[in-house]
Amino acid sequence: MSAVPKIQLTSSDGAVIEVDRPVAERSVLIKHLLEDLPEESTTEAIPVPNVNEAVLRKVLEWCEQHKKDPPPSNDEDSESRKKCTDIDEWDQKFMQVDQEMLFEIILAANYLDIKALLDVGCKTVANMIKGKTPEEIRKTFNIQNDFTPEEEDQIRRENEWAEDR
Amino acid sequence: NMVRIPRPRRFSTGATSDTSSSTSPERGADDDNDSIMINPNDSISSLAASVEHDRDADMEDRRPLAPIEALPAELMIAIFARLSSSPQDLRSCMLVSRDWARNSVALLWHRPQTNNWKSLQTVVRTISNKSTFDYPQLVRRLNLSTLNNQVSDGTLMAFRECKRIERLTLTNCTRLSDQSVKPMIVGNRSLLALDVTGLEGISSDTMLEVAKNCYRLQGLNITNCRLVTDEGLEAIARSCRHIKRLKFNGCNQITSKAVLEFAAAAQYLLEIDLHCVHLLEDDAVTALLSNGNQLRELRLSHCSRITDAAFLNLPTNAQYESLRILDLTDCIELQDAGVQRIVTAAPRLRNLVLAKCRQLTDRAVIAITRLGKNLHYIHLGHCARITDAGVLQLVKLCNRIRYIDLACCSQLTDQSVHMLATLPKLKRIGLVKCDNITDRSIYALAKPRNAGNAPNIPPLYAQANFIPGYNTQNAMSGATPSSLERVHLSYCRNLTLNGIHALLNNCPRLTHLSLTGVQAFLRDDLLRFCRAAPPEFNEHQRNLFCVFSGHGVKDLRTFLN
Repeated sequence: MSAVPKIQLTSSDGAVIEVDRPVAERSVLIKHLLEDLPEESTTEAIPVPNVNEAVLRKVLEWCEQHKKDPPPSNDEDSESRKKCTDIDEWDQKFMQVDQEMLFEIILAANYLDIKALLDVGCKTVANMIKGKTPEEIRKTFNIQNDFTPEEEDQIRRENEWAEDR
Repeated sequence: NMVRIPRPRRFSTGATSDTSSSTSPERGADDDNDSIMINPNDSISSLAASVEHDRDADMEDRRPLAPIEALPAELMIAIFARLSSSPQDLRSCMLVSRDWARNSVALLWHRPQTNNWKSLQTVVRTISNKSTFDYPQLVRRLNLSTLNNQVSDGTLMAFRECKRIERLTLTNCTRLSDQSVKPMIVGNRSLLALDVTGLEGISSDTMLEVAKNCYRLQGLNITNCRLVTDEGLEAIARSCRHIKRLKFNGCNQITSKAVLEFAAAAQYLLEIDLHCVHLLEDDAVTALLSNGNQLRELRLSHCSRITDAAFLNLPTNAQYESLRILDLTDCIELQDAGVQRIVTAAPRLRNLVLAKCRQLTDRAVIAITRLGKNLHYIHLGHCARITDAGVLQLVKLCNRIRYIDLACCSQLTDQSVHMLATLPKLKRIGLVKCDNITDRSIYALAKPRNAGNAPNIPPLYAQANFIPGYNTQNAMSGATPSSLERVHLSYCRNLTLNGIHALLNNCPRLTHLSLTGVQAFLRDDLLRFCRAAPPEFNEHQRNLFCVFSGHGVKDLRTFLN
């Protein structure tokens, strides 16, 4: 058995990171890129212009952990996955980062097309919203209330039906 | 901040959702036209203008960007989608900020809450008034079935501007008529499923409108819409070419003509229920089977005109591998030859219901054994001509049966039940009015399963009601306790307490035991644990009624021990 092939990635801030090819291929974007490259060019570093070093390393840490996961399930499964907000333990720990990093991981997962990581990220944010009042949500995410009192009141009334449990 | 994903254009009405629909992996194909979220009216354009102004003037200076604001609309929508099951959370999101409102409103209004009168009223009030958002265009599912007969035509009319509804469920809203349902259909090109079960005021008028508008329709349930005629359904069959599920139960004006039209374009058909479509004839059934390559479920109970010819006329050697469920209850003309033909043509049938097909004999039962391991559910109640010989063969060759009903098969004896008791996965057995069976049958059912072994008939003297160590002993020999959950033994008049006691102690999963009309159980000390007789029963029926279920089974077991 031959050694696991390695590739190099260049982050937006110029860092070159070496990684096992199967780990990097958790990213559908990178996988397709590699497939399109002629064999000899895979020794050159692949630029990842939208992701900085810290985020890229974090994302690759996740890819390493999940490199043996089965391939993404079919549509029906993703439909049910969408509804639930359970996250496995390792992923929960992995997502215990500051908000800036959290949202950058989500953006990177979206850009690199790593569906399972995007999924974990979205679930994490959804769990931060669950059960909170609008004011608590604003505080959690540091969001400015840009409604006029009249607008807010009108939306409240229009959606009154959603109050009852 | 190194991430250079372009920020969405903020506060530009609609533009954000447009981009999201094409790129987000999280959104269904259904959501492709959400762009016009906000009413193009004066109040809104002024709102948008004032926001642009705010932003340019002072907001950016006042406050650093919150990290979450780096996420584009499509990702915010993907996050909100995880909250779809909680309208309360989505509503809270709507009240956070204008951006959040715009990105969560479509999810919240996808299926407005209409399962209680108060919610329904506030929903109606919102969609009837000039509002912040164009709510009617966001509604994709409307279900008024919980409020059923409280809903009037006037209430439903309030929703007539909701032209993108995909699933309209009006089950048993019996006061509704064409007057309100038809306007709901006019102009709706999105409808996928319509359920108007029990709406006797619906006629072919509404059906013709469905044919005119709803080309994407996949499911239609008009159970007991007795006014509907062939005319409306033929039109739907011709224009809706993606039909998957049809339920015309009890539509007694419908004939083979309409069903033949659906059969002619049945390539996507998965399921069709035609219970009590009394006018249905053989040709329609033949056509449905021979054209419906994907057909999984065909229900024809009480279609009294169906004969063997429905199956004998199928093309020679044709195989219907998809068919799993066939219900022919009370198709009184059906004979052995028809059953032989259909089980040969549909070798993967899992559920076969032949109750009250009174002409069937052991020959039909022997034919059914061809289904082998595929058969899980078989109903032969009132097929009084079948005998132990048929049942023995059936059990031998179809050992995956989980559910069997042999009610009123009055020729059956303990021999049949001994064989049935060996079925390793048997959960439910119906032996009502099998008057020949005795406690020996019940002991056999109580005996743990020894996979593969033929049953030994236990000598009667050995049957203590519960022998301590009995289960341990069997566990050691590799036997598993009975999987029986529901046992129907009403009017098996020879049964005594001893047999049932053994059954209770050896069937840990038992949740239902019916012993109506069995003299040995009509004792006050036992009837305490019996559930109440249905209110419509008369005095005589009440006196005989004896059914234990749920806790009643447990309590009876405890009492007898």
